[in-house]
Amino acid sequence: MKFCKGESHLNKQELMQLEQLLEQVQKPARYIGGEMNAVQKDWDKVDTTFAFCFPDTYDIAMSHLGMKILYHLINLREDALCERVCMPAADMADLMREKDVPLFSLESRKALNHFDIVGFTLQYEMSFTNILEMLNLGRIPVYAKDRNDTFPIVVAGGPCAFNPEPLAPFIDAFMIGDGEDVMNELIDVIRDGKKQGLTKMNILRNLAKVEGVYVPALYDAAYNEDGTLSSFTPNDPAAPAVVKKRVVKDLSAAVYPDSIPVPYTEIVHDRMVLEIMRGCTRGCRFCQAGMLYRPVRERSMDRLLELADKLQQSTGYEEMSLSSLSSGDFTCLPELISELMKRYKEKRVSVSLPSMRIDNIVKQSLEETQKVKKSGLTLAPEAGTQRLRDVINKGVTEEDLIRAVSDAFESGWSSVKLYFMMGLPTETDEDLQGIGDLARKVVRAYYAMPKEKRTKGVMVTCSASVFVPKPFTPFQWAAQDTIETVHEKQAALRQYLKQKCVNFKWHESHLSMLEACIARGDRRIGDVIYTAWKMGCRLDGWNEHFKFDKWLEAFEKCHLDPAFYAYRERPYEELLPWQFIDAGVSQEYLKRENEKAKAGAITPDCRHGCNGCGLQKWHVCDFVENPPLKDKPHRAEVAN
Amino acid sequence: MKMLVIFEKTPRLRHIGHLDLMRAMQRALRRSGLPIAFSQGFNPHVLLNFAAPLSVGMPGKREIMEVPLDKGVCEGDFKKMISRALPPDLPCIAVRSVDDRHPAPMASLTAACYTAEFEHLPENFADTVSAFLEQKEIPAIRKTKSGMKPCDIRPMIHELAVEGNTLSMTLSLCEKATCKPDLLLSSLFEFAGMERPNALITRQQLLGGDAPNFMPLEML
Repeated sequence: MKFCKGESHLNKQELMQLEQLLEQVQKPARYIGGEMNAVQKDWDKVDTTFAFCFPDTYDIAMSHLGMKILYHLINLREDALCERVCMPAADMADLMREKDVPLFSLESRKALNHFDIVGFTLQYEMSFTNILEMLNLGRIPVYAKDRNDTFPIVVAGGPCAFNPEPLAPFIDAFMIGDGEDVMNELIDVIRDGKKQGLTKMNILRNLAKVEGVYVPALYDAAYNEDGTLSSFTPNDPAAPAVVKKRVVKDLSAAVYPDSIPVPYTEIVHDRMVLEIMRGCTRGCRFCQAGMLYRPVRERSMDRLLELADKLQQSTGYEEMSLSSLSSGDFTCLPELISELMKRYKEKRVSVSLPSMRIDNIVKQSLEETQKVKKSGLTLAPEAGTQRLRDVINKGVTEEDLIRAVSDAFESGWSSVKLYFMMGLPTETDEDLQGIGDLARKVVRAYYAMPKEKRTKGVMVTCSASVFVPKPFTPFQWAAQDTIETVHEKQAALRQYLKQKCVNFKWHESHLSMLEACIARGDRRIGDVIYTAWKMGCRLDGWNEHFKFDKWLEAFEKCHLDPAFYAYRERPYEELLPWQFIDAGVSQEYLKRENEKAKAGAITPDCRHGCNGCGLQKWHVCDFVENPPLKDKPHRAEVAN
Repeated sequence: MKMLVIFEKTPRLRHIGHLDLMRAMQRALRRSGLPIAFSQGFNPHVLLNFAAPLSVGMPGKREIMEVPLDKGVCEGDFKKMISRALPPDLPCIAVRSVDDRHPAPMASLTAACYTAEFEHLPENFADTVSAFLEQKEIPAIRKTKSGMKPCDIRPMIHELAVEGNTLSMTLSLCEKATCKPDLLLSSLFEFAGMERPNALITRQQLLGGDAPNFMPLEML
């Protein structure tokens, strides 16, 4: 029986086994590949093969923009190919292990250990056990030290690579910063190394010389008696003391896919994505992305329209989403939206705008984007009182929120989602009550509309996640609330949100605590991840698979205390595990922002004047020229 | 006008469900640049009709969909444009233009041919099949929308033959009487007193007309 067009690379017996497994698992369509625009290259005609691994299931992986960019970028090379590999769901993973079918790529069904490079994208901490599971299913030893020259070189990148230490024992090399800027250099070095017959260690040494690449084996970490880091130093002349993140300087000139695989089965974000801008100037103090993706870079209108047309023609998608951290800040947003709406009206393609800030939702944009299809409106006030919003530098006011929801209600929306965080530094019961008050005022805004203008069935959903302090944010030194405190606060909030037309959703506090441990973890956390995985932890981001007790047991077995990582406020003098990385924003700036947070003072958007975050030294930021504001601006000015 | 599109769903895509296949075809039509028709309403979608949904897990050699068009397009151009827009595992085999009054393929459908490929069938299996077909009545339990229903599947079996390790069959497929190949195989192996072995079942051809003068559906 021949099941696959083109040659299959699992051996015949494995292939037969796989076909039988597909009869037995849930959602077999996750494992078949063969999508429109998937790139199937000849293995004999390339020098380097790259497995792009997403450490979660297909439906999540295929929604991720970074994978689409790098998949496209690598496959543009004539001398290399890139294939996709996803984490199998639990039923499939178990059957694969039982029947001895290795983890394989979607395109050629080639086993993971046959690739030259295996690359993971690190999007969230709770996917880390999946990395070990995927390596193991792919017949690759999970510890880097156990892999000799015959195994693939295992690399990783993405936002979580900015604190690579928890994964240091497993990954050969990390890419820090914008992947499209460093990927080709990384592939060149590995290709040349293999051609010259270099050992893995020597290839890694050459990689360490590439700007933005961190090779953990070339560094030693030492600890004080109290468990804090005492020193972190290179042990090899090839390794730089400071690893500088890579930055794409011109987004319009950067590689961006004009064609992406179109899945058969429904995925989380089943649409074409146009990244209009990277970075954010707002400076919210809890937001890691806002710090990591600096400076702000916009794609030009011409480039965006060219990409939009090509994507629409190559995918046939019925929806296009404009993506960035804060789309309302894009200079030409109204022009871009009207042009896209005009172009695609006949073709029945709708345009959606996630990530709109409350203070700059353009009413016109709201109305334009729902001409074809109406989607839900999500707003993120993040905190319940103005005091706390000032602490986190979320420069929005209650008036902004009420104006935004009133506009939305008037334009025909009836359900609104509000995102909040609980456990932010300095939070008190008053701030939680504030969330209840805001919800009440939003419902009131709906009833303030004339009856004939209202769309029936108002519903305000308040979702409160647990704050997780992250590296390279002004709150990187802060303590997280204990699980007990979080439970008390959740109970209080449940009371405050017991209102008509209001719905409350909260997050699993255990998961957030572990996330905090790993996010600010050091090298020793790697052993905890390994131990937890050995005890059966995987797919931790999935409620039904998350085993908190096993994780606690793993900490105990490794003689480490979760409280040390999650609940401890760090002094400024402490050497932080990620401090050897230069993310652009300086530690001085982060300290300054943390002090301003404690004082409840806001920092204006740097479009209005440079705040000296540290990026000025690289000459990559357009706003450095803007003179700093002399007088503290009034809040309303900042919001505009 | 309408275009009948005869396409293959290859074994690689056999786990793709009917709704997913429909969405894939709608997107292919959007990519094609053909003058497709959209439904009215708030969420407009591309109009198309399949002759018969394929069960999940089953490839189809000559499946049929009907595509209404806003403007006339000749068969040659249509085939060229749709072929460019289809993924490699959903190739277009042929197209046929018909006018708007042409009955929907689903309405003319009466039966279908299938093959079941086994790894190994016993040597004398042809005798078992003959004996099976000699039965006047073959009682079986059919799954219907309103629950499990006992029925006689003998009149729905129009052909059943063995060649090597492949079983080919022609079975009724219409609203009034449908015998799925799965049901037939269960019944056959129960009759043979054997455990049912694994097989790849493929729908080879959709048929119209009446027994014994069935015609390929796309020719009607």
